[in-house]
Amino acid sequence: MPHSFRHMTLSRRRLLRSSAGGLLGLGLLGAVPSLLFSPAALAGDAWQRLEAAQQVIGDATPESDGLTLDLPHVSEDGSAVALTVGVEASLDDGDYVESIHLFAAGNPNPEVAVFHLTPLAGKPEVSTRVRLNETQQVVAVARSAEGKVWATSREVRITVSGCLMRGDDVPEALSNPRVSVPGSFTAGQPGEIRTLITHPMETGLREGDDGETLPRHIIERFKVSVDGDTAFEAELHQSVSANPYLRFHLAPERSGEAVFEWHDDTGESARETSQLNVS
Amino acid sequence: MTHTAMVAWSGLLLGLLFGATGRLSGFCLMRGLTNAWAPTPEQRDGRKLRAFAVAMAVALLGSQLLVSVTALSLNDALYRTASLSWLLVPLGGMLFGYGMVMANGCGARSLVLLGSGNLRSFVVLVCLGIAAYMTLSGVLAPLRVWLEGATTLALPARDLPGWLMQAGLGANLARWLPSLLLAGGLLAWALSSRAFRASPRDWLGGLVIGALIPGGWYATGVLGFDDFEPVRLASLTFIAPIGESLQYLMLSTGTRLGFGVTVVTGVLAGSLITSLATRGFAWQGFPDHTRILRSIGGGALMGIGGVLALGCSIGQGLSGISTLALTSFVALAGIAVGAGLGIRGPLALSKV
Repeated sequence: MPHSFRHMTLSRRRLLRSSAGGLLGLGLLGAVPSLLFSPAALAGDAWQRLEAAQQVIGDATPESDGLTLDLPHVSEDGSAVALTVGVEASLDDGDYVESIHLFAAGNPNPEVAVFHLTPLAGKPEVSTRVRLNETQQVVAVARSAEGKVWATSREVRITVSGCLMRGDDVPEALSNPRVSVPGSFTAGQPGEIRTLITHPMETGLREGDDGETLPRHIIERFKVSVDGDTAFEAELHQSVSANPYLRFHLAPERSGEAVFEWHDDTGESARETSQLNVS
Repeated sequence: MTHTAMVAWSGLLLGLLFGATGRLSGFCLMRGLTNAWAPTPEQRDGRKLRAFAVAMAVALLGSQLLVSVTALSLNDALYRTASLSWLLVPLGGMLFGYGMVMANGCGARSLVLLGSGNLRSFVVLVCLGIAAYMTLSGVLAPLRVWLEGATTLALPARDLPGWLMQAGLGANLARWLPSLLLAGGLLAWALSSRAFRASPRDWLGGLVIGALIPGGWYATGVLGFDDFEPVRLASLTFIAPIGESLQYLMLSTGTRLGFGVTVVTGVLAGSLITSLATRGFAWQGFPDHTRILRSIGGGALMGIGGVLALGCSIGQGLSGISTLALTSFVALAGIAVGAGLGIRGPLALSKV
């Protein structure tokens, strides 16, 4: 099982903090339901306080309606929190969602991932699994080709888990790429694509058993092209969970070959191809 | 249907079967132990304990058979840990066992009893669920994590087959030798009693409940198998799931319905339906305040102990043992010792 960031130091730090905050927390529990049951309070403006998100937004005034970020309220496993982000707003003819940026405000590096979409990607909805260091706001920013901008955020509470060190053998990085595509597509209609690859996504922040910091080793780029045209691209950072999982969509007009490529920061890459049948 | 929905529905089905069987057979490790360890020989009755032994044997053989005929691997089960806390696992087992006697039944039994109108079990369950989550991720969690780290003991292997393979046995022999010896021994002991053989209510109960354990592995490990979105491998267990169910009631808009919660719901519903159908439903309250205290204390001890020991009498005793995990034997021994302390000796709780 993948470990969360800096596993050892983290639990110790959280230990101190939660012992102190434990009793106080009991008293504050009463205030929690009111927060949870009003989505408006949750879709706060955490993106305004996050510089990395501000840089993406620039001078634009982002809308919050139309961009949804689906995450559990509470997660006991901060090393792999399932997340889905999607743009539901209707766009002008010819316009499409060009990029979706994900940030975790409380992680050592707030950038989580950037997804670059094209008209070929059909439905602008992406799922992945991310690492969250502590209870924090997750922020999503989306941009359309014509410059519309959306921003939203969600709070996720991370609690400690059993997290027994399993000491499993580390599988070979970039081994076993897996791709699932629909048996057939209807021309121009989005079909769901799921991909998974074995990779430690070592953050460069964690210590190994010998106390030495383990070197950073992550997949930085994932790319899908259909008959040579780029359809979907993802830039991944350390906050993406080990064995990166990506779910997205493709809407091919005619049958063709999709090529999936994963590139890691050592220059190694993996490649997988799959036939897309349009009926 | 998506694989996660299938897992959730199978959980409900397994829970319904457990609830109905539990209600009809009175399956209960705590009752089994108190009857078997009664102070005078005339009061002793081993049938309930033998029913538990049958359930263990069936769970073990069924799960190992499932591993043989499907691609399922039980290596990802929670019980097969590479190391254990030499302090918390046995201590947790003991707290759980003692709490079980104090509350007059384990978590699963309390669900069955609540379904038949026993309101004492309601108090037990609420306290159990809260205490479990206090220990798992709440105010007691930092202490638990610290103690776990300070008392870690590396195990020679995760499970009995792994240990035997280190001694040079082949993979299949190492798996089936302990399975058959253990299950055979349990069955032989259970069936050696004429009173037990003459009590189909007990042996059938044990048989059905034991068979639900491989059912749980099948649901989460085979039906729920998906490379891309894995479901956590689990079978029947009740401590964390009871807490999870309480949490689900409060946070359902932000959490996903999982196997544990549907099992708990199913047990409650199965027992309720059976009680109503057999006209056995009857409201029961507290005779006095000491019983309230016992329900609160017993529920809390089971919640804390069950989390420390990674499972309850069903979770470790049936599901855990069915994986032959070394940790499960330690936890189960702890539960037996804790229950023994509650039944006899200086710390014994008076019969109510």
